[in-house]
Amino acid sequence: MKTRHSRTLTATSMLTAAALALGIHAAAADEILIGASLPLSGPLAGFGSFQQWGYKRAVDEVNKAGGIAIDGKKQQVKLVIRDDKTDPNATAANTETLISRDKVVAMLGSCTPALVNAGALVAERAKKPMVTGCDPLEAFKSVRKWSYVWDLFFHEPQLAAVQFKAMTDLNAATNKKIAIWHDNGPDGQVVGGKIWPALAKEFGYEVVQNAEFPVDNTQFTSIIGEAKSKGAEVVLVDAITPQAIAIRKQMAAAGYTPKVLNMEKGAEPVQFAEALGKLADGVLVGGYWDPSFPYPGAADLAKAFESETKLTSSQHIADSYAAAQILLDAIAAAGSTDPEKINSAIRDTNKTYVVGPVQFDQNHTAKLPVVSLQWQGGKTVVVWPKDAKTGNFLFPIP
Amino acid sequence: MPDIGVISSTVVAGVLLGGMLALTALGLSIVLGVMRLVNLAHGVFLVVGAYAGLFFLQFTGIDPLIGLPVVALVVGLLAVPLYRFLLAPLAERGAEAQMMTMFAVAIILENAFVLGFSADTRSIARDYATVPLTLGPVTVPLIYLIGFAISVALILAVHWLISATAFGRDLRASAVDAQAAATLGVDVKKVQMLTFALGAACAGVGGTLIGAAFQFSPSSGGAYLLNSLAVVVLGGLGNVLGTLAGGVALGALQSLGGLTLGDGYRDLAGMALFLLVLALRPDGFLARGRT
Repeated sequence: MKTRHSRTLTATSMLTAAALALGIHAAAADEILIGASLPLSGPLAGFGSFQQWGYKRAVDEVNKAGGIAIDGKKQQVKLVIRDDKTDPNATAANTETLISRDKVVAMLGSCTPALVNAGALVAERAKKPMVTGCDPLEAFKSVRKWSYVWDLFFHEPQLAAVQFKAMTDLNAATNKKIAIWHDNGPDGQVVGGKIWPALAKEFGYEVVQNAEFPVDNTQFTSIIGEAKSKGAEVVLVDAITPQAIAIRKQMAAAGYTPKVLNMEKGAEPVQFAEALGKLADGVLVGGYWDPSFPYPGAADLAKAFESETKLTSSQHIADSYAAAQILLDAIAAAGSTDPEKINSAIRDTNKTYVVGPVQFDQNHTAKLPVVSLQWQGGKTVVVWPKDAKTGNFLFPIP
Repeated sequence: MPDIGVISSTVVAGVLLGGMLALTALGLSIVLGVMRLVNLAHGVFLVVGAYAGLFFLQFTGIDPLIGLPVVALVVGLLAVPLYRFLLAPLAERGAEAQMMTMFAVAIILENAFVLGFSADTRSIARDYATVPLTLGPVTVPLIYLIGFAISVALILAVHWLISATAFGRDLRASAVDAQAAATLGVDVKKVQMLTFALGAACAGVGGTLIGAAFQFSPSSGGAYLLNSLAVVVLGGLGNVLGTLAGGVALGALQSLGGLTLGDGYRDLAGMALFLLVLALRPDGFLARGRT
């Protein structure tokens, strides 16, 4: 008996140790498990840390308010986050683990099309609802017709047009020669390869250079030299943060200062300005959120982030916070952890969140309003449109 | 077809950048030459150097170029316990065990950086790192010239150390035949420890220069390790001056590749040269001139 007991104990201990080693998260009977795979390390870590904070805040608020009623009984929500190291394969594997091993009832998305779509495809296959931000809508829609995944973010044509409209409205006088540099990621190819050239023509600009580079490229000497020699006074860049930092430094080191410099994606997180110091001043980036936006809780969200972390806030805290709130609201509306019921409740979302009004269309997408942000003194200010502006347009860039 | 200014600037920038690449590879080369160890943590040592330069600037306000000796000392000293407690006990078990140990060290350090300093991309912000230098039609980043000058000076100093000092004599003897050197009274373990520390110190200095010229994050080490391996193969195993030649060749060819094929194909051009040399001259460009 003793032997059998000790064998059982040993087996249990081994299973527990194995579970701990594998990082398995067992749900307590009265807990609702939701999962997220985020880029907490690797090149996109700048985005992942903000998303993590947004997701956690939404969950913490629900738990502080007593949790969510499932079949009439209040339950706490547990958020399980796994690091995908900015690797789409890891995102897919993490999502698989979260669904099959951790038994989450629903998912929150990662960041950028490559990562979000990799996880979304796994969630779709497993028929688990996922709400995500951080995935431009065209790049999201192009993957497939979604049934269980929902995306709230900016629409590329709308964001791509922001700087053209801003340059026109703000009377930015240039020689109308544009250089476009974009990475070969899904959104880089859409924005830099198709939308910007078409918009340039529409707004009367001449594209003197259109250069594509790998997402992880680090040297841009030739691209910069060519744009400089062709006299482009407007440079539009679509690259992630490490590359955006490298490009801005190498432009300065090559003695090339265009009058307008727009850097989509890469210039969003505050680490861009921290790494570059005054070189960040004047750089434009399309934005979909600012604490000054007239939506409930916008200013408070940024204040809460900055007081908790002592860091400058980023727009990524808002879309992640809203995505988590939408999912949690849907679970509450469903009153169940049944994936079909949660998915149906997400479909019915019609509410104003911290990012603005959210209602999903037949493609499972919700467009966020966009503005033109400009880095000034280590912070972003809204410079366009006029009715949303929080600072004057710095032109030309110093 | 790019104009003459773009072509000449690109070629000169490539040569200067190659000098810095040589410095980043120097430590790998001498450790490989003496210990027969492909130090898979070499790229992470570069990142340690970049963080050391950044924090030196933040905490002292002194320019990291002035603080390079301190950075070299700190990174070199950090390498000593790694050798003493991790590599030395494995000396009898062959190079594979040591190599895998350093691979583990690289992973641990990379994760430690993420925990300690966040995964953010950083850069050592100095004015001279973003100032162009123009001479006629040639415009290159001033930091490339500074980095090249420091790299060449350091490489020549290491060459002198290895070829003209008692330590260098012991090092060369240990590299050729460690057993015979030990029989003749050379303290091989001590030589290996100092070589490992010297390699780390060189990586630290290279890391600070890279941090000022470019940007870095906890995961930057892998790319620099790959470039360093290419430089070592081009220049020849343990060949200090060959490392400089290999770095310059790789930098120039990468730049020409970027100019003709696009910046995204710089590494393709570099790796093609790497494979070519590996096939035709496996001992490197300057195999006969080994120090």
